[in-house]
Amino acid sequence: MAVSESSTQNPALRDPDVRLMLEVREDNAAAFEELMLRYQNRLISLLEHVVGRRELAEDLTQDVFLRVYRARKRYEPGAKFSTWLFTIANNVAANALRSQSRRHEVNLAQRGTNSSTSVPTLEQLAQAASGFMPARQFEKAEMSDVIRQAIATLNERQRMAVLLSKFESMSYEEIAETMQMSTQAIKSLLSRARGNLREILEPYLERGELKELGARGDGGTIEDEE
Amino acid sequence: MTDHPSTESERLDEELVAYLDGELDGEAARRMEHRLASEETVRRRLQQLAQSWDLLDQLPRTTVDDSFTRSTVEIVALAAEEELGEKAGAEPRRRRLRWFLTAVAAVGACWIGFVAVTHLRPNPNEELLRDLPVIENQEVLKEAGDIEFLRKLDKEGLFPEESGDAP
Repeated sequence: MAVSESSTQNPALRDPDVRLMLEVREDNAAAFEELMLRYQNRLISLLEHVVGRRELAEDLTQDVFLRVYRARKRYEPGAKFSTWLFTIANNVAANALRSQSRRHEVNLAQRGTNSSTSVPTLEQLAQAASGFMPARQFEKAEMSDVIRQAIATLNERQRMAVLLSKFESMSYEEIAETMQMSTQAIKSLLSRARGNLREILEPYLERGELKELGARGDGGTIEDEE
Repeated sequence: MTDHPSTESERLDEELVAYLDGELDGEAARRMEHRLASEETVRRRLQQLAQSWDLLDQLPRTTVDDSFTRSTVEIVALAAEEELGEKAGAEPRRRRLRWFLTAVAAVGACWIGFVAVTHLRPNPNEELLRDLPVIENQEVLKEAGDIEFLRKLDKEGLFPEESGDAP
């Protein structure tokens, strides 16, 4: 398909990333690098929360880009480029998690902390929040950890759907296309996931700690300092 | 895991989440707004879902440095090199295959031509072979003198079938 094809004939061409990918299809290395720069942080952020490890997330991100490169000649612009890209990411993450579970190496709780405890269950986190933890102000980093652990209690599909919705602002239809599920299934999946998150985080909200954090926090992105 | 809500609470949550995400159609959104206006418990539930969702903004986002970008570019460049190497190796193989196919086609064409010529061109000897019995016995047949007489004899089956002589 020629890049000069009118965007009225193919609405997908309105997406600048689709146009970049069409350049990649013609072996334009600069276009490929531009796409990498636009998406590498987004991919790693999403994958890190899905698979639980920064290093693995980086490897998977590079795997995603490699797959994009290898598939470039077969690329046909459908909807948004990001939907196609995150579909690849979803498949790569699913394969990685399957391998992990086969090797019994899943330990999401070790991410970002020195703790060697296993992943807390929903009940444990809710119980910890409800009264067994000392009544004190949480530092932002601690609450980030609580929120991360809350995400970690979700199953793989719930995590992916939540992160695509929150991080990528995808619609239900886009998430459904990315995860190869129906829109109704995504609606139910997100509802259950957010119900679980509410259950875990509600006690913190009731104690006012998170409200204050929400009020004083910058609400923006946080650079991951290694 | 079933994807469909099984309790009233789950169904309510599903509608509330979809409402927060702007995924309810016009009529469904209006019905929800009516419920929110009239039911305190539904309003509270919505607030809890919204607040816990907003907390996810605290999740750290990762940024990578140039070394990661360079490393990715190297990986892809390596793949590109391998691709080129495969193509370069494939070219002599393709040439050899083309030569072989051309040779096979030429031999095939020759064979087809030979068969066609053999079957379509009339064989001048064929007529002679057909008339061989007559030629061999022409002295005897001359004695009969009359071709009609010979045909009558043939009809009566007096001339035995020649076998084994047919080409």
